[in-house]
Amino acid sequence: MLELKGVHLHGPRGDRLRNIDLIIKPGERIALIGSSGAGKSSLLAIANGSLLPSSGTVLWRGRSLNRRHHSQKQAIGTLWQDLCLVEELNVAQNVNAGALGKRSLLWALANLLAPIEINRCRECLEAVGLPANLARASLSELSGGQRQRVALARLLRQKPEIVLADEPLSSLDPPLAEAVLNLLLNSGLLQNNGLLQNNGLPSTISMPKTLLMSLHQTNLIDRFDRVIGLRSGQLVVDQSTDGLDQAALEWLYQSA
Amino acid sequence: MIRIRLNPTPPLLSLLPALALVVVLMAMVPGFHSGGLQALIAFISASIHPSMDPLVVSSAWRGLQITMATALLSWVVSSFIGVVLGLASATLIWRTFIGKSWPAIFFRRLLAFPRAVHELLWGLLLLQMLGLSPWVAILAITIPYSALVARVLSDQLDTLGERPLIALRQSGAKPIQALTTAIIPPMAPVLMSYCGYRLECALRGATLLGVFGLGGLGTDLQLTLQSLQFEELWTALWMLASVMIILEQLMSWWRQRLKSSGAAPRELLVSVCLMLILGICSLIWLQSLDLDMTSSIRWHPLPLPTVSELITASHELHWLQLIVNTLLLTLLAAGIAIGLPPLGMMLWPSQLGRSIQSLLWGLLRLIPTPLAALLLLLNCEPSLAVAALALGAHNLGVMGRLLKEALDQQSDSCYQALKASGAGDRIAWLYGSLSAQSPGYLAYSAYRADVMLRETAVVGMVGGAGLGWQLIESLSSFNWAQVYLLIGVYAMLTMFGEVLSDHCRQLWTGSRKKPAMALVLQS
Repeated sequence: MLELKGVHLHGPRGDRLRNIDLIIKPGERIALIGSSGAGKSSLLAIANGSLLPSSGTVLWRGRSLNRRHHSQKQAIGTLWQDLCLVEELNVAQNVNAGALGKRSLLWALANLLAPIEINRCRECLEAVGLPANLARASLSELSGGQRQRVALARLLRQKPEIVLADEPLSSLDPPLAEAVLNLLLNSGLLQNNGLLQNNGLPSTISMPKTLLMSLHQTNLIDRFDRVIGLRSGQLVVDQSTDGLDQAALEWLYQSA
Repeated sequence: MIRIRLNPTPPLLSLLPALALVVVLMAMVPGFHSGGLQALIAFISASIHPSMDPLVVSSAWRGLQITMATALLSWVVSSFIGVVLGLASATLIWRTFIGKSWPAIFFRRLLAFPRAVHELLWGLLLLQMLGLSPWVAILAITIPYSALVARVLSDQLDTLGERPLIALRQSGAKPIQALTTAIIPPMAPVLMSYCGYRLECALRGATLLGVFGLGGLGTDLQLTLQSLQFEELWTALWMLASVMIILEQLMSWWRQRLKSSGAAPRELLVSVCLMLILGICSLIWLQSLDLDMTSSIRWHPLPLPTVSELITASHELHWLQLIVNTLLLTLLAAGIAIGLPPLGMMLWPSQLGRSIQSLLWGLLRLIPTPLAALLLLLNCEPSLAVAALALGAHNLGVMGRLLKEALDQQSDSCYQALKASGAGDRIAWLYGSLSAQSPGYLAYSAYRADVMLRETAVVGMVGGAGLGWQLIESLSSFNWAQVYLLIGVYAMLTMFGEVLSDHCRQLWTGSRKKPAMALVLQS
C-alpha cells in the first residue's frame, strides 16, 4: 500500500533518516517509536509527501508519490503534532478543510463565507465526541482536547485510506488519550465523555483500517499489530508486537 | 425556510475588495479609446532602452540629487520634531510628570490637523506663502511627517503601560530617570524601524512634489511624460528605481540588525548621531546643487477671508457631491489596493508568478500616482474611475510588498499540511497561508485606506472630482475663502477616517494599537 524504498534525508546537522525501507500493508496498525529527534516526524512527513527525501522513493499503491497528484494525497491522512488548524476559521470550516482536496476553488471560497455541507461537519464532530452545536464556534473557545478532536473530525471528513499520526496522544489526559487511540485504531466512535459508542451514526464515517502512529507510550504498543523503532534516523526495530522484546524498546530510548 | 448565516472570514474579506476593479473597469469602458495605444507601447518599449544621452543623464542625475537631499533633510527634521511631539502627546509622559493626561490629549488634537492634510496640499499652500524656494518641499514633507511620527510614537508609548514606571518611581527613581529606563529599551527598535520607513516615504513624497513643479526628479518625470519623451522618462525612472532598491535593501538590513542586536539604546544613540550628520550633509548637498538655502525666507501670509466671503464660498461649492466623490474615490482605490495582491497571489501561486508579481508591485510603487494617472489618460477619458485606478495601483504596490514580507516571515506548516491532504496550491495558500495573515493585513488595510483618503488630493485633477481636485482649482483661482473651507472639511474627513480605521483595527486585531505590520510599512 505505502512503501518507502532506500529513503535518505540529509539535514543541516547530519542525516535525519538513513536508508529506510518500509512497507505498510492495508489494514496494518503500526506503532512508530523512538526518542525525540530520532526521525519519527521526518519519516511521517516523507510518507505523506510533504517532505521530499534526499534520495530514495515513496510508493503509494505501487506508484511513485507525486507531489502534484492530489488524489494520492487525499488517500493519505495526517494527524499533525501541532494539529495545523486554521485559527481564523470556525470549527465547521476547519472540518471542511479536510475535503478541500476533492473540491474546487469556488467551493473553498464559499466555505469562507459560511460553512457549507454543515450536516456532514456535524456528523464528523459527533463521531469524535464533540457536540454538533460547536460547529460554528471559534477555535479560540475550545480546550486543547477539543481542538485535537476537531483535527480528528477534519481527518474523518477527508476520508483517507491510511492515517499517519504524529504523537497525537502527547498532550491529552489519560481518558481522552485512550478514547482518541480507540478511534484511531478504529475500535469505535467517541461520545462526549470520551467513551466508545456505536449508536447508528452514518456508516460512511469511520477511520481507515491502516494506521502508522508515532508515540512515546511504550505501554500502548500491544494495541498495535506491528512496531517499528527509529534510532538516530535508522530503522532498527521492525517486528510484530507479539513477543516483543522489551529490552530492545528500552535501548531505543537510551542516548545514542 | 432555510436560513443561511453569512459570516465572511478574514481571508475572504481580504479578497472581496478586489471586486472594486470590476466596477472601475466597467466605468472606464465607455471612455476607452485606442488613440494612445501607440504611445503606451512606446512607453513600455522605452523601458528597455532608456536614453543614455549625457545631457539627459546629467539632468536626471541633478534632479535625483535634489530629490534625495530634500527627502533626507525633511526626513531628519521631521523625525526629530516628531519624537518631541510624540513625547508631548503621550499620556504616559504627562501622567509621570504632573499626574494628569489632558496636555497629551490637547497635543493629540492639535496634531490631527497637520497630519490630515497631504504633503502635496501643504506644498501648494506653502508655495503661495513662501514663493518658489527649496524650503517649500522640505517644509511640505516635514509638517505632516512630524505629526505622523508623533502619533505613532505616542500610540506605542501609551500601549507600554505604567507598571514598569510605577515600580521604578517606588524604588526612588526621579521621573526623568524612570522614563528613560522604562521607555528607551522597548521603544528604541520600534522608533528606529518606523523612522527608517519614513525615509522611503520621504523619497516618494519629494518625487511627488517634484511632479507638481517643486523641483527635483519629479519635475523631470512630469516634463518628459508630457512631451512623450519616454526614453528620457525611463532614464529618470531607472535612476529612481536604483535608489529605491538600494534604500529598501538598506532598510531591510537595518531591520535585521535591529532584530538581532541586543543593545537597542546604543543603536539609537548611533542612529541619532548619524541622522544629525546626514541632515547637515544634505543641507550642504542642496547648497552645492546651486539651490539657495541660506537666503532669508520671505513670508507672505495667506489672506484671511471675511465671514461673508466664507458664507458665499460655502454656497458656491457642492459639498455633498465633493464629499461623496472623495469617499467613492477612496473606496474604489482602496478596494483595488487591498484586494488585488492576495487575489493575484492566490491565482498565481507558483514561484514564477510570485517573482513577476513582485516585479510589478515594485514598478507600481516606483511610478508616482499622478504619472500613473497621466499614463492611463493616454487611452482613457478623465474620470473618477481612472483616478481610482491610478491611486489604487500605486498603493497596490505598497500592499503587495507588505503582504509578501509578512507571508515570508510566517511558518508554512499549515500550508504544507493542507497540501499533504491533497488540496491544490491555490486552496492550500488561501487556507494555510493567507488565513493566518489576513487579520493583520486587514488591520493594516484600514490604516492604508485612511492614507488613501489623504492621497485623493493627488489624483483629484484626473477625475475632476472630489475635495482635492476642488482645492487645487480654488488655489489656482486664489479663492482663499474656498481654500480655507475645503482644507477644513478635508481635515475633518480624514480625521473621521482615522477614527473609523482605528475602530476597524480594533475589530480585526482586538487592539487599538497599530498592528506590527503598520509599523513595518507606512507612508
